[in-house]
Amino acid sequence: MGKPERLNILVVGVGGQGLITMSNTLARAALLDGTKALVAETHGLSQRGGSVEVHVRLGDVYAPLIPEGGADVIVALELIEAARAANNLKNNGTIVANDRIIRPAVPNVEVPEREELLEYLKQFTKTIYLVDAYDIASKVGSTLSQNMVVLGTLMGTGLLEGFVSIKAVEKIISTLRRAELNLEAFRRGLTDFQRI
Amino acid sequence: MASKHKLLAPSGTTRLLMGNEAIARGAIEAGVGFVAGYPGTPSTEIIETLATVAKDLGIHVEWSTNEKVALEAVYGAQLTGVRSMATMKHVGLNVAADPFMTLAYTGVIGGTVVVSADDPNMWSSQNEQDNRYFGLKAYVPVFEPSEPGEAKELVKLAFQFSEEVGHPVLFRSTTRISHVRGPVVFGETPKNITNKGVFKKHPERFTVIPAHARKLRGELIERWETIKEKIPKLEPFNRIENPGHKTAILASGLAYAYTKESLRMLGIENKVTLVKIATPVPVPEEQILQAAENAEKILIVEELEPVVEMQVKNLLYNVDKTIEIHGKDYVPLIGELTLNKVLNGVARIVDLKFSVPSKRFSNTTIKLPPRPPAMCPGCPHRGTFYSLRRAVNKARVKPVYSGDIGCYSLGVLPPFREQDTIIEMGGSIGLANGFAHTLEKQVPIAIIGDSTFFHSGVTGLINAVYNSAPQLIIVLDNRVTAMTGEQPNPGTGINAVGDPAPLIKIEDIAKAVGVEYVDVFDPFEIKDGTDAMYKALKYVLENKKPALVIAKRACALEIDRVAKRKGVETPMYQVISEKCTACGVCYNAFTCPAIMVEEDGKAVIDESLCTGCGVCAEVCPFDAIIKTRDGDPEWYELWNI
Repeated sequence: MGKPERLNILVVGVGGQGLITMSNTLARAALLDGTKALVAETHGLSQRGGSVEVHVRLGDVYAPLIPEGGADVIVALELIEAARAANNLKNNGTIVANDRIIRPAVPNVEVPEREELLEYLKQFTKTIYLVDAYDIASKVGSTLSQNMVVLGTLMGTGLLEGFVSIKAVEKIISTLRRAELNLEAFRRGLTDFQRI
Repeated sequence: MASKHKLLAPSGTTRLLMGNEAIARGAIEAGVGFVAGYPGTPSTEIIETLATVAKDLGIHVEWSTNEKVALEAVYGAQLTGVRSMATMKHVGLNVAADPFMTLAYTGVIGGTVVVSADDPNMWSSQNEQDNRYFGLKAYVPVFEPSEPGEAKELVKLAFQFSEEVGHPVLFRSTTRISHVRGPVVFGETPKNITNKGVFKKHPERFTVIPAHARKLRGELIERWETIKEKIPKLEPFNRIENPGHKTAILASGLAYAYTKESLRMLGIENKVTLVKIATPVPVPEEQILQAAENAEKILIVEELEPVVEMQVKNLLYNVDKTIEIHGKDYVPLIGELTLNKVLNGVARIVDLKFSVPSKRFSNTTIKLPPRPPAMCPGCPHRGTFYSLRRAVNKARVKPVYSGDIGCYSLGVLPPFREQDTIIEMGGSIGLANGFAHTLEKQVPIAIIGDSTFFHSGVTGLINAVYNSAPQLIIVLDNRVTAMTGEQPNPGTGINAVGDPAPLIKIEDIAKAVGVEYVDVFDPFEIKDGTDAMYKALKYVLENKKPALVIAKRACALEIDRVAKRKGVETPMYQVISEKCTACGVCYNAFTCPAIMVEEDGKAVIDESLCTGCGVCAEVCPFDAIIKTRDGDPEWYELWNI
């Protein structure tokens, strides 16, 4: 199979998890490699602990938003949000998810079990990669680096080959604040994941 | 440091910029000398970005108290010949509508651009009004880009055009321009920026008394004809691609991006004539007539209202051209555009069978909990709402919570439900001014933030005193315009560019305008807060006069960030499992997002989210939450405002 003309990456998670930083890092790296990139983010109220979606489009793209049901990859920083976004995945698409559940701050909320969420995700694709980014990031030195671990896993899957190189991503991360810590988190994410 | 700022990279550089940053860069390249606005999603980052380079470049950049004040300041500045720009969100232009309408009558001296960032789909807004209508209404040309890179070029052009015709330009962005990042190629910046000028008196033009205004109205219509002639020449922003086909599609602004990609996906890019429109008001008539000449069918793709569609139908009727035209019957009126919507419309106009992708169905369903935005851990508003409920119960009154626009709008959600009306900026005290005279058994409680109070709450407050409107007004003062990302305001003590500024206290304003009952409390102290609001409620009931209380604590988001950056140690709290009865008060009634629930229903604090505010320890009825580490004295200082 030849390289597709464009790649639609839907990044989801909870406001405050660093989705926007992660998406921008990826897009800046794409630009470095000469790939056109568009990132559409939602600001304002949704920042405050709510569900957040960022659309990253690479390659031959004009429109800022991924069409409904048109995501090649869903990158989730949280499992409930992965499930919420799953119906936007293309047939044979890929899910890259942080193996973590965050309870919504809603009174008397019922939180689904991890197994239940994973079973649900499996209906949409056979290709699911899980990474324990919280654990890895804590060991590296800060749970704030979870986003970089997941970015590492996304790059580690090889899905972005021809669009963005690991080298370019590392170059961009090294310009961020707490670069060393984030680089370490990214590198751990590149390999420390499992396919389920 | 100036050379390192990403907005000041040399000409020829390509950077990934957010649309708002691109607009800021475009204004710099145009030599803007004066910029004023009021924060509002999705417009905020234009001024935020400019503020960081303003001093280096010699541009005056300010956060004004509201959009009307901002546009008036811009009005004055441009009259001295300085290129000027006002920025606001779409509903902000409603506030600034008065000077905006007259700006078209007098015309401008220095190039003047009014940026309106519209919010189709209402991601952060109370409506999705299409401000291109403002252009039609005021006779002001509207420029609308298709992507961030073009936004930069088009802003630059808007300044030139404005100065050339002596008329303002309304630059309409949307969420999917302003908050989209894409590659932007930097151009040259002027060597010198004109930031000072001279006002040349011309009362026949600048004093719009009726005798003058009547004459100006005639001149405005004449100028509009000139503008209509010049608009088609704005190439390549307005352009025709592949002329001569039987199907023509006209796409305005962002709709061009969706249309272009749809045509490529359908493989019919070379079979359709495409008119790219960057000026939806007035439409480029030349290109449209050229496309209509050979076309049998026309599709107009635009987001929200049929602004282009109406003008095109009018135009073709006037030239006796009968042709099949589709617009809002093919591309929906409501909500933002998506590729799916545009693909549908485009496939339909060319009679192409195409199965547009859609969300997938699953065999089994799963019940996913909602995750609405929530007040942050440590947010002082949570304590205020928690205490207010107690105060209202204690006073045995039936409250009507007249809410307002800000993070505290989230008080509408459970468990608080303490926002019964939210209409517009400043509407809390405004509506309470009516409730106060018409409610018999209920008591109006107006809830408003500091920035919103300065924006337009203060006029309502003066009215409440003047017209004796008994109500309890609660000002949630966290010293910043928090919801849009902590911009400074008149109560902050600094201005947009970070210089010290006079700090205007809301309690002083309240006293000065004649509010007799003014009190301040700490929202982290539940008992004190409850007591303060209870007493104020009693005063309102007994004296039939307004009372104003201020909940004062810094924004948790700001303090958390500052503390982390400075390495200030925060206090730590823990739930003693043996003492916790799993009653749920901390996570169900207080709902701090840093409090998680164990399988047995007991609470546990997530240290990575906890800001150390300690209010949960006070609300716990069983004293099961204790402080395990004290914070630095500096940490406590940070919260005091």
